[in-house]
Amino acid sequence: MVRNSQGRVVSAIVRYSLLSLLLLVMVLPLLWMFRISFMSAGSAIDLSTVLSANFSLSNYADLFRDKMITWPLFNSAIVGLIVTVGNILFCFMVAYSIARFKMIANKIMFVSVILVLMIPAHIVIIPLYVLMNETGMFDTYWALILPWLVNPIGIFLVKQYIESLPTSVEEAARIDGAGEFRILFRVVMPLCKPALAVLAIQVFFTNWNSFLFPYILTTSDELRTLPVALALYHGHQAIDWQHLMAGSALAVIPVLVLFVIMQRHIVSGITAGAIKQ
Amino acid sequence: MRWSKSTALTLSLPWLVTFGLFWAFPVIYSLVMGFTDYQLLNKSFNWIGFENFRLLLADPAFLSSLKNTFIFVAGTIPSTTIIALILALLVNKSFPGRSLFRSGFFLPSITSMVVVALIFTNLYQRGGYVAMLAQMVGLTPPEFGFLNDRGTALYSIMAMDVWMAAGYYMLIFLAGLKAIPEELYEAADISGAGAIRKFFSITLPLLRPTALFILVINTIKSFQVFVEIFVMTKGSSDTTTAVYFIYNTGLSTQFQFGYASAAAYMLFVIVAIFSILQFVLMRRREALW
Repeated sequence: MVRNSQGRVVSAIVRYSLLSLLLLVMVLPLLWMFRISFMSAGSAIDLSTVLSANFSLSNYADLFRDKMITWPLFNSAIVGLIVTVGNILFCFMVAYSIARFKMIANKIMFVSVILVLMIPAHIVIIPLYVLMNETGMFDTYWALILPWLVNPIGIFLVKQYIESLPTSVEEAARIDGAGEFRILFRVVMPLCKPALAVLAIQVFFTNWNSFLFPYILTTSDELRTLPVALALYHGHQAIDWQHLMAGSALAVIPVLVLFVIMQRHIVSGITAGAIKQ
Repeated sequence: MRWSKSTALTLSLPWLVTFGLFWAFPVIYSLVMGFTDYQLLNKSFNWIGFENFRLLLADPAFLSSLKNTFIFVAGTIPSTTIIALILALLVNKSFPGRSLFRSGFFLPSITSMVVVALIFTNLYQRGGYVAMLAQMVGLTPPEFGFLNDRGTALYSIMAMDVWMAAGYYMLIFLAGLKAIPEELYEAADISGAGAIRKFFSITLPLLRPTALFILVINTIKSFQVFVEIFVMTKGSSDTTTAVYFIYNTGLSTQFQFGYASAAAYMLFVIVAIFSILQFVLMRRREALW
């Protein structure tokens, strides 16, 4: 008995040491970013200064005075919000249509959703650039918002969820004389809240972190989103790490906060895709 | 239910428009452009048949971008998958503090790629943190930093990608582990199987569908590596990947839309072949059970 409990203590120590080491490796780069963002501008960055330097908020204060960061921050927030709301509304509408109205046209539409899921995005880089130029949407908010208002993964996710709901609720509402749109938005949509929460958080994260398309479809400073502004800030100037890391921290903090609040939805969104395989 | 057909159509309208305008049209238009000499600067748009594809196969820049992409895919996918599996096994069973570790492992994968690439640019720089670690274990770091050395640049970016993605695939493995019935392990306990035996006879075979799912989505994603290259090296030090090549010839300096579109389609075909291959493998394995 004594040996057994000793063995258990030893194995617990080994396990926690290993896990802590791994945790350190995984979060250290992020801690590094936060630490540098609090160091005074121009100071050397090495292990001794990182450990000993004072904490100062001056880099953040500088950034909020700098239009190169406040505009992108505003753009990322407003575009992320509009795209997220758009996806909640549109993915739900399309998913409901596919799940509940069994017609040939809807079968074809579902195939189109699956097709887009399998098309690698790099194929549309050039034609989308040409299209946006020809239609005058290049370098406007339209280019940042319009193509992303509804997405196939979202449609798929909500469709699966609606199909798992019993139709009896909708039929009861129909017998009570409720119109189709009333049933849709007052009866079915509230029932879909869990799936829509998963959808919302995924869309917001993807949009907030997105770089490639916001970068190629805009060109003026006033339309840059935060990741684009950060990448270009890095490219154009002699590297000012303290301010750059403070700007990066601004891009990470909203994600961290949402992650803590909505962890359950994020995890179930990722694993939902895996179980469908 | 009288007007359900028009209702269905109205409801589907957002997707029909998005699909037509932003997916179907670009995919087809891209293919058409691939057979032309379309360039932004001289406004030419002539049908030239397979000329672009022929030139691409003889273009050293394109071929080396494909080589780098293959190195990236072949190097990151096995490492990411194995590390993700190890992480998943470590946090699978319930113990105090489990959710802290799980969230910590997952955290890098929800961070913006641009931000991660910037942080690692700092860590990899000359005299930076990683160089210091290398010196501590007796290695000589590259003189001008890891990203400015042809021998280390691509591998340094790959290591960062593994670090970033492992936690994401860990979550998918955890879902797969959850689906394995507990009774199988109980039965193995009764017949006296050890932990290693249980892992190789129960856990690993039953995780195969999950692992294959991970392989498929990771393949499609990894073939398109771009953002980290853009932020960290701009394709210097022999790190140009296929999508970076497409961006560079199509949108960066030369605006050769036709040539870049042809390159995009060639990459598309390669990705498609790999995905189909994996699907076939998945089917076959399933039939065996």
